[in-house]
Amino acid sequence: MASPFITARNTVNNADVAAARLGPRFGRMDLTSQFALLAVESFAAHFDSMPRERIAICLAVRAGSLATDLEYWKGRDAAGGPSPTLFTYTLPSAAIGEIAIRHRLTGPGLCFVSGGDELLAEATDLIERGEADGCVCVFANVVSPGLVEMISTAPATSAHAFFVRRGKPHEASSGSDIETV
Amino acid sequence: MAISTTELKAAIIAALNLQDITPAQIDDDAPLFGAGLGLDSIDALELVVMLEKNYRIVIKDIEEGRPAFQSVRTLAAFIEAKQAS
Repeated sequence: MASPFITARNTVNNADVAAARLGPRFGRMDLTSQFALLAVESFAAHFDSMPRERIAICLAVRAGSLATDLEYWKGRDAAGGPSPTLFTYTLPSAAIGEIAIRHRLTGPGLCFVSGGDELLAEATDLIERGEADGCVCVFANVVSPGLVEMISTAPATSAHAFFVRRGKPHEASSGSDIETV
Repeated sequence: MAISTTELKAAIIAALNLQDITPAQIDDDAPLFGAGLGLDSIDALELVVMLEKNYRIVIKDIEEGRPAFQSVRTLAAFIEAKQAS
């Protein structure tokens, strides 16, 4: 069996998200979900090549949901309390749900609070064990200004996504079947 | 005091962060949930918070709010009735 390989990739930044128009629901998402969803958007056509229930999602979020958790915490003093919508995003894995809903992907989902180094290996493992035929991998790095002081790190807002799929020899690029991320 | 449905629509759009929707695009009598504007249960909670923030109306029983959330027009009438009481 041919090894899985990366067939598409994309990176998005602040300007991309600010200009994005992905329907009326996009605006209510937390920043991590917006970045993750937009990073995947450019290669969504690749999902048509296999059953949607055979596509997994691996998400790595560097700061978990801390940026959203902080916003929610700040909202507790507001009239009416913090935003119920925001509450639904106080989970590191929330972006997996948004990607799954938008693209109707019903395969396995994995979430890591990390720098994303394990994404390719995890996606490859899922495919080689037969749990999926393809895997959407997303690394979202959202450190809001409010979070900078709390975790002593630089602000960041970006996401990188790539799609790994079960390989066929003629589809793989020359050399290794798996590109280096 | 009569509630402007245009103002109320703007408040709904702001509260729910609805992108690319203007007050003019929302029909006064269209259902807010399901078909129509397509809001969901989380949006309903967000509207409850919006009513408290913007109009100081507290809904403690969701059954009380259910008829009010049928459309923009019913919500405006609900706010007017609450403010008059």
